[in-house]
Amino acid sequence: MTPVAHKVKITYCAECGYEPQTLDLAKALMLEFGARLSCIELIPWEGGTFDVSFDGDLLHSMTRDGGFPKPDAIKEAVRARLSA
Amino acid sequence: MTIDRARFDQGLTYEAYKDQMTRNRDRLEENEQRVALSKEDLAAFRALPRAVKVVVLAEDWCGDVLANLPVLGRLAKESGKLDVRIFLRDQNDDIMQRYLNKGQFKSIPVFVFFDDDFRELGHWIERPASVTEVRAKRRKDIFAAHPEFGSPDAPVDQLAEEIRVRLQAELAKMRDETAKFANAEVIREIREIATRVAA
Repeated sequence: MTPVAHKVKITYCAECGYEPQTLDLAKALMLEFGARLSCIELIPWEGGTFDVSFDGDLLHSMTRDGGFPKPDAIKEAVRARLSA
Repeated sequence: MTIDRARFDQGLTYEAYKDQMTRNRDRLEENEQRVALSKEDLAAFRALPRAVKVVVLAEDWCGDVLANLPVLGRLAKESGKLDVRIFLRDQNDDIMQRYLNKGQFKSIPVFVFFDDDFRELGHWIERPASVTEVRAKRRKDIFAAHPEFGSPDAPVDQLAEEIRVRLQAELAKMRDETAKFANAEVIREIREIATRVAA
């Protein structure tokens, strides 16, 4: 079976001081999933953005969902997709 | 929480704020140099019957602070009629809670204007609505002119990195091109508040 690469992207507003939340989430994902994720990409952006996606599926959007995601909720969503 | 003289004096002067910045001082000072003050605006501030005290909430990572605080800084320096004290937002939540944007958001910068007796004349938050509106329209135009940028509402992480970098450059150019208008709007709005001070 060909291994599948799974990527998480975190797009954060670099002009809003969202670095701590970004790093906290990235760390939580690193510790939880290790090499099961092929990549965790951090994308500095603007405009109050805080989006998290898994293989192109948007798991959380500050614009759509409001606020920051709870790391546990993101871990749960990633876990479900990895085992699908 | 009310601001009194003792609390006001705990704030940083504009120069002291710049000295404690850990990032973006070059951008702040570049914006400061670019602020164009009209003779008429300057005369209006210089003609204030007494100095107005201005409490500011700021942080050095915030784009709106980097854009708008220098406007206030230049006006203070050149008019001699604005006594500015700056408080770091994340260390002064009691002040922040009093001036939440739409009662919810910790938007900065916040400029709060007081007379000598610390009676509030008015306050100003983040950026003028007119600037938000103009930039939203210009942003829409950019996406219309560049189909490769996709939908303005789509998550930006769906764009290829090279396209994303080009979009970022277009947005930065747009902000640069609208900076003169934005500064003029900031001056117009804070002039309206500052000139409420009684003779």
